[in-house]
Amino acid sequence: MNDTFLLSAIIFLPAVGALLLSALDSKAVDAIRMFSLGITIATFALTLMLWSKFDYEATGIQMHVAYEWIPTWNIFYRLGFDGISLPLIILTSFVSMLACVASWSINKLHKGYFILFLLLETGMLGVFLSLDFFLFFVFWEVMLLPMYFLIGVWGGPRKEYAAIKFFLYTLAGGVLMLIAMLMLYFASGGTTESFNLIELAKAASGAADAKLTSTLSGSMQVTAFVLLFIGFAIKLPAFPVHTWLPDAHVEAPTPISMILAGVLLKLGGYGIIRIAFPLCPYGAAQAAYFVVAIGVISLIYGAFAALAQTDFKRMVAYSSVSHMGYVLIGLGVWKIVDSATINANMWLMGINGAMFQMVAHGVSSAGMFFMVGVIYDRVHHRDLNKFGGLMGRMPLYSGLAAGLFFAGLGLPGLCGFIGEIFVVLSAWNYSPMLAIVSASGVILTAGYILWALQRVYLGAEYTGPHSEDITPINAREATVGGILLAFAIFLGVYPAVVFNVMKKSTSELVTSMQAGYAKAEGTVTAGDEAAAGETQEEAAVLSEPKNDDIPPAQVQQQEAVDSLDSQLVRFDQAVP
Amino acid sequence: MQPDLTSYLLVGAVLFVCGVVCMATKRNGIGVLMGVELVLNGANVNFVAFSKYTALGLDGQVFSLFVIVLAAAEAAVALAIALNFYNNHLTIDVDRANKLKG
Amino acid sequence: MVGETLKFWLMIAWLLPLAGFAVEIFFGFYSKNPRGSKAAAWMAVACIGIGFLCSANALRIWGNANEWCVLESHDTHGEHAEGEDGHGEEAHEHKAADENSHDEHAVSATDHDAEKTGQTAYSGEIYRLATFGSLTIAMDYYIDSLTLVMFTMVTFIATCIHLFAIGYMSDELVDDYVDHFAHTADGKHVHRPGRFYRFFAFLSLFCFAMLGLVLAGNIFQVFIFWELVGICSFLLIGFYTERKSASNAANKAFIMNRIGDFGFLIGLMVLWTFFGTFRFGDTAQDNVVTEQGLFSMVHRDAESHDFMTDADGEVLITDPSGHVLKDEAGKARTIPYFLLVIAGLGVFAGCVGKSAQFPLQTWLPDAMEGPTPVSALVHSATMVAAGVYLAGRFFPMFAHEVLLTIAYTGCITLFIAATIAVVATDIKKVLAYSTISQLGYMMLGIGVFGWAAGLFHLITHAFFKSLMFLCSGSVIHGCHHEQEMPKMGGLLKKMPITALTMLIGVFAISGFPMLFGLHFSGFHSKDAIVASALAFVIANPIHYLLFVIPLLTAGITAFYMFRLWFFTFWGAPRDQHVHDHAHESPWIMAAPLVILAVPAWLCAYGGESGFLYGMLTGDEPAHLATGVTAAGKIVLPSHHEIHQVHGDAGVLALLAAFSGALIAYILYGTTLVNVEAMKKQMSIVHGFLTNKWHFDDLYDALFMRPAHKVAAFCAWIDKTIFDTILHGLAKAMIVIANWDRMFDEKFVDGFVNLVGDATQSVGSSLKVVQTGKLRQYVMFIVLGVVALFAVVFSTFPG
Repeated sequence: MNDTFLLSAIIFLPAVGALLLSALDSKAVDAIRMFSLGITIATFALTLMLWSKFDYEATGIQMHVAYEWIPTWNIFYRLGFDGISLPLIILTSFVSMLACVASWSINKLHKGYFILFLLLETGMLGVFLSLDFFLFFVFWEVMLLPMYFLIGVWGGPRKEYAAIKFFLYTLAGGVLMLIAMLMLYFASGGTTESFNLIELAKAASGAADAKLTSTLSGSMQVTAFVLLFIGFAIKLPAFPVHTWLPDAHVEAPTPISMILAGVLLKLGGYGIIRIAFPLCPYGAAQAAYFVVAIGVISLIYGAFAALAQTDFKRMVAYSSVSHMGYVLIGLGVWKIVDSATINANMWLMGINGAMFQMVAHGVSSAGMFFMVGVIYDRVHHRDLNKFGGLMGRMPLYSGLAAGLFFAGLGLPGLCGFIGEIFVVLSAWNYSPMLAIVSASGVILTAGYILWALQRVYLGAEYTGPHSEDITPINAREATVGGILLAFAIFLGVYPAVVFNVMKKSTSELVTSMQAGYAKAEGTVTAGDEAAAGETQEEAAVLSEPKNDDIPPAQVQQQEAVDSLDSQLVRFDQAVP
Repeated sequence: MQPDLTSYLLVGAVLFVCGVVCMATKRNGIGVLMGVELVLNGANVNFVAFSKYTALGLDGQVFSLFVIVLAAAEAAVALAIALNFYNNHLTIDVDRANKLKG
Repeated sequence: MVGETLKFWLMIAWLLPLAGFAVEIFFGFYSKNPRGSKAAAWMAVACIGIGFLCSANALRIWGNANEWCVLESHDTHGEHAEGEDGHGEEAHEHKAADENSHDEHAVSATDHDAEKTGQTAYSGEIYRLATFGSLTIAMDYYIDSLTLVMFTMVTFIATCIHLFAIGYMSDELVDDYVDHFAHTADGKHVHRPGRFYRFFAFLSLFCFAMLGLVLAGNIFQVFIFWELVGICSFLLIGFYTERKSASNAANKAFIMNRIGDFGFLIGLMVLWTFFGTFRFGDTAQDNVVTEQGLFSMVHRDAESHDFMTDADGEVLITDPSGHVLKDEAGKARTIPYFLLVIAGLGVFAGCVGKSAQFPLQTWLPDAMEGPTPVSALVHSATMVAAGVYLAGRFFPMFAHEVLLTIAYTGCITLFIAATIAVVATDIKKVLAYSTISQLGYMMLGIGVFGWAAGLFHLITHAFFKSLMFLCSGSVIHGCHHEQEMPKMGGLLKKMPITALTMLIGVFAISGFPMLFGLHFSGFHSKDAIVASALAFVIANPIHYLLFVIPLLTAGITAFYMFRLWFFTFWGAPRDQHVHDHAHESPWIMAAPLVILAVPAWLCAYGGESGFLYGMLTGDEPAHLATGVTAAGKIVLPSHHEIHQVHGDAGVLALLAAFSGALIAYILYGTTLVNVEAMKKQMSIVHGFLTNKWHFDDLYDALFMRPAHKVAAFCAWIDKTIFDTILHGLAKAMIVIANWDRMFDEKFVDGFVNLVGDATQSVGSSLKVVQTGKLRQYVMFIVLGVVALFAVVFSTFPG
């Protein structure tokens, strides 16, 4: 199977599936379900095949394929993956598969639901696999629409509100991203402008084999970074642009919540690490404190907000806000003193921790949302104060749920712990104050999760409505929960399986970003000096080719002489 | 006395005026049609006269032939209308035919 | 390779309970008759029992490898207690400190030359978690004499407790268990299926976590298992999930521990940032250190035995042989002294949480909600002692300030807890407070440089306290889940085995000297702590409270323990109903009591020249023997100084214990004094103590409520501020859209409509011309033609 075919198959298999699905009779519900499940399983198998072909020792992009798409603007159909995207690709197909199993609980318009579901998977995988900014953007927006309908049609009572909120928020982020994208596009010089993410990154880092040159100045880099960051932070979501998340989660059906928490939030983190960071290293360095601070605030704020919720699902949603704060902290702990990176290994650890946190959260939060969905399907309410005693009524379910919630709590031996602890450990090097505040998150997290567990699973008896509908968890639900818990344990006990995949790519990222920062730093200091003194020098520094024979000052003089000549000529003509 | 152009034109004008008066005064549809024929023939006289006395040449006569053919066609159509009208209204009084009033 | 062999046996002992857990929880859930079968229990017993055998075997191997030389050295040590330090001791405690002569040989931490130098600590990697550039985090093991003693102790006690629990939990072996302490909304008792297998599964999981904690070769791994024992404790405290009090207590325990772990985490961050490793010991291959551990990174000065510092007072980070390490820029690697203190305090904060020290002590009494075997295993013998264990393990990294903090924390704790124990009436609560108090003693011991004394007490206490908890469990079982001592009394005749084994425990904890010529274990260990405290106070008179309070509390300890015994077993029955139904426990519960009574009495046989002490101190940190005398800081006494005051301290402690026991006998053993009247006279004090010094109320007001307030505030912000801004934006958009619509409708559409209207009106005004009268039309035509003519002729006259 050649590279192009494999990568394209991963992206478009769900879309093809959706197409075929539309041919099925909409009354054949079981056929539709089984077919969709088959497609998601096949996609998962393909991503595993991708993993089997992954070269652990190679740096850079693997299976890089590119075909011209829109030559006028130099847009390519450019795919590939590396150690950063591979874990997330597998996570995506994995969570999609389980969410598909969880979709059995969908009880209306099955055909439309599964078509949109598969389209959504195409969009997500496309984002992770595309290496052309334009293509990335297209997939980013492709993902949006199915999600809108999935929430807006199959959602809860306030589904329209939630769907529109989600849509507008993400669209706003997309617009900011678009601006930054065009900034980067037009600033990429060399032979021609390009959307090529790899080359743009190389240009920004000033790599020796870079084919493009970036004319983006330091301050413009900061602007571009901030635009990109806001765009991705909305998706992440980070304080204060997180308010779409609780609403979207509360209204979305269970499998969509799983996808939303398990994959969609990761797109934000992935965007930062794949685009915002490598393309604007100087901007990232300047904004690092801001990034970490936002992360810490999200972490603490999300935890407090989760503590106050009475809606079970809303609480889990806020826990997502809290957990994604770790991602920002880990990414941002880039300590620079006097233009030199201090203890780059700590930053590397932070980035790895953040990446792991994304994967781990993908497993644990999907599991938590699924567990909420299981009980919601039975009793049709989510009021934390009206549960209790489920441990006795549904022992297996309660056991699985406890395991998954402990994973969310960051219990060692489960996946949540590794990401959190590595991020926190790497943070002291950056800022002791922020590190201490972020470490205090462990108390709050334990508080809200244990309190919720107590109110839902423990206690003498179930006190809420529909008590008679509480039936033990069925085999399908137990399978989903069990698989998720098994992965949570596996990742928690043997995290090296993820770290080994990421190792080369993340350290390459760290190295190239340092180089990029050093390069931009050089430009900026020169520019500053120029601003203080001679303007000609600035122009000379900024114009890359040094072999220009005529300095700009001379050019100006030449122009002045020319215009004087022409005036003289006209004067001559006027005189008879 | 060789009649000159003016004489022909006079005849044409008289025919024209007669036709016009006929059209304007007759309430009978057939009468109106006859007035139309008079007007057309007045014009024909003019055409022929011009072809004879001016540089118009044969064109004027050809034109008048066209007009005659046209008049015949028009008469056929108009008479058919008149017949139909009569069938429907038992009269051919044009004043009664005011369905096209705005 | 001794290290490999030890690792092999201990790994088996460690992993067996985990396998046991998996089997028990799965087969328990899926088996046909999970309620009636004791298979899970025997499985758990087998796992931990084999674990004990493995540990004991490892201990034997370790001893053989070192030819029991450590013990011999201590035998000499004991004989020369009054003289100078034993000569052999110095040789064995591979003192990296004497760098003046052994600079190059200090890299002796290898298996290779273990025989030659008496190296006794083995460390290495089990598997790697992650690598970041030069930083690695792995699962390591660190095996020295302390590890081995802890392993043997934990597995032995756990085996006994597992056996006991088979009997104690046997009423769970039913399909319809009635929980008399949990009520449904209509006031009835909760009926539920029995959960026998689940209890043993959790116990097995706990054993796994606890052994992992002991085996851990780096502090990060300690943290991992630290949390795991915490969650096992959570599960076991909350075993009776139906009881609100149980789930509350479980949550409280876990969250209190997390507060400690917050500090622990800060400590970890500092260590990680500055040292770049979490390992305890050095890992060596072929005589070359491949992975340096924390302990060899801070070197101690040859004279003062304090940390080596640079000119700015920053502590130097060195390689194993004492050479200062350089960073990338070529500068000497250092850690600011205050950060080393913070790291130590942080790690100690974790210990405070886990060992229920002041100010995080309040969770442990509540944790008594768990079944009694849990209290015996988790909350007295092993998990809570893990804090002390870690403090001992991490001792080489503790600066003076940290030690002083530890000492004072222990001192405050032991006093507070003992005073509360005096008024507690729930038999398990008394034991719980006693545990806190004894843990305070251990901390104090470590804090006042009596490292070995603290850990010595840890082991002895584990035996006698687990024994006493099991006895209390036996009493509770025999009295049908009655825990209030005022309803007991006179049980000696009804349950003699329990009463007598309990008495052994009481003697041991009170520090009574001997029975039949054999010293009680607590006598040795408590003496050692008091002696260390006395030596410390003599060296630093300003800290005199560190000796006075423990001494006083030794009396209080004896008082409340004898009070408990007299209350329960002596005198006349206070509640006839309870007394009539009381019975001695079946053999499966009584046997572990008898078995445990032996080590509880005799485990410290020989005192400081005995086997246990020798084993414990086999690998004690080097600077303990010499003491630390840094300028401008408190003086930490040497072994020699401690030994000099040992006798005096012992006498004082004995006096205190005897007087406490005597008072208890007078008050509760006889009818000479009306205790109720005394209680009324001192009602203020009594109320203060029964309310546990109001710590719970204080924390509730200080932390719980504010936390919930902040939480509500955050949620409010989210709902009110952010969403309002968002909705405001949305509304503004709608307003703008409305304007847009108005503009469209009024202006753009208006113009188009105007044109249309005008056309129409012109048309309608012209329609009157269309009369439908043919003759009129002809007139118009004629007039038109005439007009046309007129225009044409007037325009073109020529």
